[in-house]
Amino acid sequence: MTEITTSWICLFSPLVAVIVIALGGNRFSRRAAGVIATGSVALSFAAAVVAFATMLTRAPGNRSHLSTAWTWLSAGNLHFGLSVLVDPLSVFMMLVVSGVGGLIVLYSIGYMHGDDEERRYFAYMAMFVFSMLLLVQGGNLILLLSGWGLVGLSSYLLIGFWHERPAAIAAAKKAFVMNAIGDATFALALFLLIAKTGTLDYGLAFSKAHGLSQTVLILIALGLLGGAVAKSAQLPLHTWLPDAMEGPTPVSALIHAATMVTAGVYLIARTAPIFQLASVVQDTAAALGAVTLVMAGLIALVQTDIKRVIAYSTMSQIGYMFLGVGLGAYASGMFHLLTHAFFKALLFLAAGVVIHALAGEQDIRKMGGLRGLMPKTYAVFLVGALSLAGIPPFSGFFSKDPIIAATLERGGAFGYVMFVLAIGGTFLTGLYTFRLVFRVFHGDRDRFVDETFDTHHGEGPLVMLLPVGVLAIGATLAGWLQVPGGWHGVSSWLQPVAAPILETTNTQEAIASIVSVVLGLAGAGIAWWIYIARRRPAPAAVPAFERKFWFDELYDALFHRPAVTTAKVLYALVEGPLVGGSMAGIAEAVRGLGTGTGRLQTGLVRTYALALAASLAVLAVVFLAVR
Amino acid sequence: MKGPDVTWYLGVAAFMFATGALGVLLRRSPLIVLLSLELMLNGANLALIAFSRLHGGGAGQIFALSVMAVAASEVVVGLGLIVAMARRNLTLDVDKLTWLRG
Repeated sequence: MTEITTSWICLFSPLVAVIVIALGGNRFSRRAAGVIATGSVALSFAAAVVAFATMLTRAPGNRSHLSTAWTWLSAGNLHFGLSVLVDPLSVFMMLVVSGVGGLIVLYSIGYMHGDDEERRYFAYMAMFVFSMLLLVQGGNLILLLSGWGLVGLSSYLLIGFWHERPAAIAAAKKAFVMNAIGDATFALALFLLIAKTGTLDYGLAFSKAHGLSQTVLILIALGLLGGAVAKSAQLPLHTWLPDAMEGPTPVSALIHAATMVTAGVYLIARTAPIFQLASVVQDTAAALGAVTLVMAGLIALVQTDIKRVIAYSTMSQIGYMFLGVGLGAYASGMFHLLTHAFFKALLFLAAGVVIHALAGEQDIRKMGGLRGLMPKTYAVFLVGALSLAGIPPFSGFFSKDPIIAATLERGGAFGYVMFVLAIGGTFLTGLYTFRLVFRVFHGDRDRFVDETFDTHHGEGPLVMLLPVGVLAIGATLAGWLQVPGGWHGVSSWLQPVAAPILETTNTQEAIASIVSVVLGLAGAGIAWWIYIARRRPAPAAVPAFERKFWFDELYDALFHRPAVTTAKVLYALVEGPLVGGSMAGIAEAVRGLGTGTGRLQTGLVRTYALALAASLAVLAVVFLAVR
Repeated sequence: MKGPDVTWYLGVAAFMFATGALGVLLRRSPLIVLLSLELMLNGANLALIAFSRLHGGGAGQIFALSVMAVAASEVVVGLGLIVAMARRNLTLDVDKLTWLRG
C-alpha cells in the first residue's frame, strides 16, 4: 500500500469507530466500546507507521503528496477538495497523535471502568483523535479549520463529560468560548487570504503570499497566531487550560499530550511561509511563548491540585515550543512536541493512577509518602519528572536545549531576553516538578492516604499500567532521535517541509545544555531542600501566583461584568416595557374581546332567531335600496 | 297558463313565511317552534314552485323537493330532541334551555 492509502485509513479509522459506537448503543458492552475505540486508534497508528516506513524508502524531495477524494465544498470560483496532505510534517504529527492517543484510549478502558456512560466517553475520545488527525492531515487550510473546530467541539464534550458537576460544565464552556475567540481570528485570517490570493491550498497560497503587502501579511499572520494562541493556551487566551482539568484524567492527558494544545505549534510550523513574511508576528509568537513559559512556571509553583500543576507545566512547555517555532527553529519545536507528548501523557496517566488509588482525591496536601505504596507509579512518575525537568539522559533534555540554543543564535537584545526567560523557565520547571514529586511520593504519609488507599486495588489494572510503561520507555528513549552534534533524525526528516531559519552551532548547544541542566538541577535541589530537608511547611504562596496573575479577575472585570450590566440595563429599559409590555397588552386585549363576545351568547334560542331575522331584514332592505 | 296570477301565490307564501317566523320568535314551546319552522319552509317552497311555474323551468321544483327532504330530516332530529327532553322531565320551554350559553 502506498502512503496515500494508509493515510486515508489513518484518518477515517477513528471516525468509523465513532459511528459504530454511536449507532451500536446498548448492543455493545461498555468494554466493547472501549476496545473498538482503542482498536480504531491503534489501526490509525499502524497505518501511520506504514506510511512513515513507505516514505522512508523515497528520496527526501519526493515525500510530499496531495490526495484529493472529491470536491468537498465549492462556492463561485473557490473549490475545496476533501484531500489529505501526506508529507513529513503531517506524518510526524499522525504518529504522535495516533500513537500517544492510542495509549491514552487504552488506559481509559481501565480508568473509566464502571462509569455510567463509558460508551459515550469512548465515542468522544475517538472523535477527538479523528478531529486532530483531520487537523494535521487536511490538505488545505479549510480542512485544517474544520479539524480545528472539531477539536474544539470534542474538547468541550470531554471536559464537560461529567455533566452533573457544575464546575465541569463551566470549565467546558470556558474552554469553548476561549477557543471560539481563536477560531474567529483564524477564520478572519482565512477570509483575508481568500480575498487576497483566491485560494486556501497550502502551496498556492504560500507562493501567492509573496506578492501581498506587509500590512495584509501581518493581519493574516496575526489572525493565525490568535487561533494558535487560543488552541495552545498561550497568553492571553490561556485561562481555559487549567480549568479543563475538570474532565476525566485521560482526557487531560489527551488534550495536553497528543491532541489540541499542540495544534497551535503545528499551525505555525505548517504556515511558516506566511509567518516568515510577517516576521514581526513570528517574533510576537516567540515572545508570547517565552512570557507564558515563565508565568505558567510561577503559577505552577503554588498550585495544590496535582493535575493543575501538570496543566501549568504543559502551558510552560508549549511556551517553549512557541519560542522554538517563533524563532524559526521548526524542527526543535516539533521535536519538543514529540518528547513532550510522551512525558506529559506519562505524567498525567501516572497522576491518574494516583488519583484512582486515592478515591479521586487530587489535592497534593493530602498525599505524601506514596513511594512505598506505589513503587511502579513512583518509578514512571520520576521518569516523567526528570524528562520534564530536562535532566539527561531523559528526552526533555534533548528537545528543550536546542530551543534555548536557538535564542542564543538569534542574538541581539531580543534573543538574549528570550534566553534569560527560557533558562529561568528551566529553573522553575525543576522546582515545581520536584515539588510535586516530593509532596506526593516522599515525606510522611498523610492520614488521608492511610484511610483511603486500597491495598487490594493497588496500582490499578494492567490495562492502565501497560500504557504508562510504554510511555515511560518513550519518555526515556525518544530524546535519542536527535542528539546535538551527533545525528539529527527529526531535523532532517522535517527539512523538506519546514526548513529552519537559523542553524545553531555546537558551542551554543553546549552552553544551553549546561546552563539549563544546572538550573534544572538547582530547581530540583531547592525543592528537595524545602520539602525534604527542612521538613517545614512550604513558604507562603505569593498572591500573584496564587491568583494566577489575576487573569480570570481581569477578564471578569473587562468582559463579564460589563456584559452583565448592559444586559440588566437593557432588560430594565427595553425588554421589560417594550417587548414584555407589548406582549402582555396584546394578550390582555384578546382576552377582553373573547369575554365580550362570550357575553353575546345567551343561550336563548329566540334571541338568536330574532337576530337572524333582523339581520336578514336589514340585508334585504340594503339590497333593495342599493339596487 | 291558467289559474291566478303569480302575485297571489307570492302573497300566500309571504303570509305563511311571516306566520312561521312570528311563531318561531314568539312561542316558547319547542314543539310549536318546530311547527312554525315547517310553515316557514313551506312558504318558501310555495314561492319556489310559483316562480318555477311562471318561468316554465324545472329548477324551482327540484329546489322545493330538496327543501322537503331537508325539512323531513330536520323534523326527525328536532322531534327526537324533544322526546329526549320530555323523557328527562325537562320543562319544554326554549327560554329555560340556556345551558349552552358562553
